[in-house]
Amino acid sequence: MRLFSRRVHELAGGYALDALDDAERERFERHLARCSSCAEDVRRMTSTATALAVAVAAEPPPGLKARVLAAAAATPQLPPLPAAAARRRHGRRVARSHWLPRLALGVAAAGVAAAVALAVVTVSTQDRLDRVQAQNQAIAAVLAAPDAQIASAASSVGGRATVVLSYAEQKMIFTSTGLPALPNNKVYELWLLSTGSARAAGLLPEPTDGKTAPVLAAGLTSADKVGVTVEPAGGTSAPTTTPILVMTLPD
Amino acid sequence: MTIPTGPRHRVSRVEARGAPAPRPDGSPPPGDDTDLERLLALVARGDQDAFEALYDKLSGPAYGLVRKVLRDPAQSEEVTQEVMLEVWRAASRFDPARGSATSWALTIAHRRAVDRVRSETASAEREQRSAPFPFSVDDVAETVEASMEAEQVRRCLERLTELQREAITLAYYGGFSYPQVATKLEVALGTVKTRIRDGLMRLGNCLGRSS
Repeated sequence: MRLFSRRVHELAGGYALDALDDAERERFERHLARCSSCAEDVRRMTSTATALAVAVAAEPPPGLKARVLAAAAATPQLPPLPAAAARRRHGRRVARSHWLPRLALGVAAAGVAAAVALAVVTVSTQDRLDRVQAQNQAIAAVLAAPDAQIASAASSVGGRATVVLSYAEQKMIFTSTGLPALPNNKVYELWLLSTGSARAAGLLPEPTDGKTAPVLAAGLTSADKVGVTVEPAGGTSAPTTTPILVMTLPD
Repeated sequence: MTIPTGPRHRVSRVEARGAPAPRPDGSPPPGDDTDLERLLALVARGDQDAFEALYDKLSGPAYGLVRKVLRDPAQSEEVTQEVMLEVWRAASRFDPARGSATSWALTIAHRRAVDRVRSETASAEREQRSAPFPFSVDDVAETVEASMEAEQVRRCLERLTELQREAITLAYYGGFSYPQVATKLEVALGTVKTRIRDGLMRLGNCLGRSS
């Protein structure tokens, strides 16, 4: 037992430096919960690691700040843990802490709504119009979902993608801007990625002014990431190229 | 938006030296990280001006650290954006009892950078650039504050054994796991674990003592 305990203790350094694999990390975190001297070790070693980090501080790229601030304005925040639990115990719903993020999300949603409007005016036949109207209703349901969140990521070939998602609706709305144009025999394909699987989630339409109209994808779970690959026209059932974008979604 | 704060990248001296002694009454150690904690508390309530001020203080260390691990500037910028957004999103989850605000944010930054580097499909490319790279001041120190920290960190790293120093820098700046560090340094896994632990203790003592 002493030997085991000593071995777990030794993981504190690796824990502070993120050098543990997932299994070791879980094992150490379980131990940490009931080992106050380990907690103090971790606090000290993390603080030392912080000094290593501060020593390599560098000027961030100039455009980053504006992008971070804009993205923050559109990103809902997590409610505090203990307070939220306390409020639940008192049987009251949290109103205030959701107000600001919802408002911010509304601003972002306005951008998506504009893209939806664009999608509507670019179709002509009644058949397509019907389909788009059905899709717009589904999109509206995602935007109005109480748990709607927004996420954004850059692609490795230029351009960005933004999604609005709802785990309750199990859906997401995907839009992109500035992706490079593809030759006629290629298409951008959207995927829901989870460990060991990639589910096809639709093809991106031709962009208008560099923006692609929203694509609605169903079957979303909180274990998914969103990926985009370049595929032959018509798409494939499994990715054949390295993703140009992999987006981690919020919890 | 206004920026009601001091110089960029200023972090608490107490914090940066690492491992301040716990005070008998259990209160947090003194230092201007309390300023960051105050900002974080405002950010947790959705205050975007406070977030801008917080960005000015934390983005330099976060970006520098992420770039040190990932090397690629474009990926580093993207991951730094994710990190700062996570700071915004999870500000209410910060717990001062578990460390300073700077430590909290830079732990997020390091974890994200390491996740990214380990999920890289182009592992060959990573192998290419993964020769042991001892800490070098020339490599870093783009800001005055960073260069002061870098000097102190360099001095203290020099006091470690070579194996301790290489194991720590490979793990932290290289984003390598225990087994990867062991392979690179051609020593047993158990040796890496004890060297990292002992080295970090010694480094913490050195950073805490020298002034």
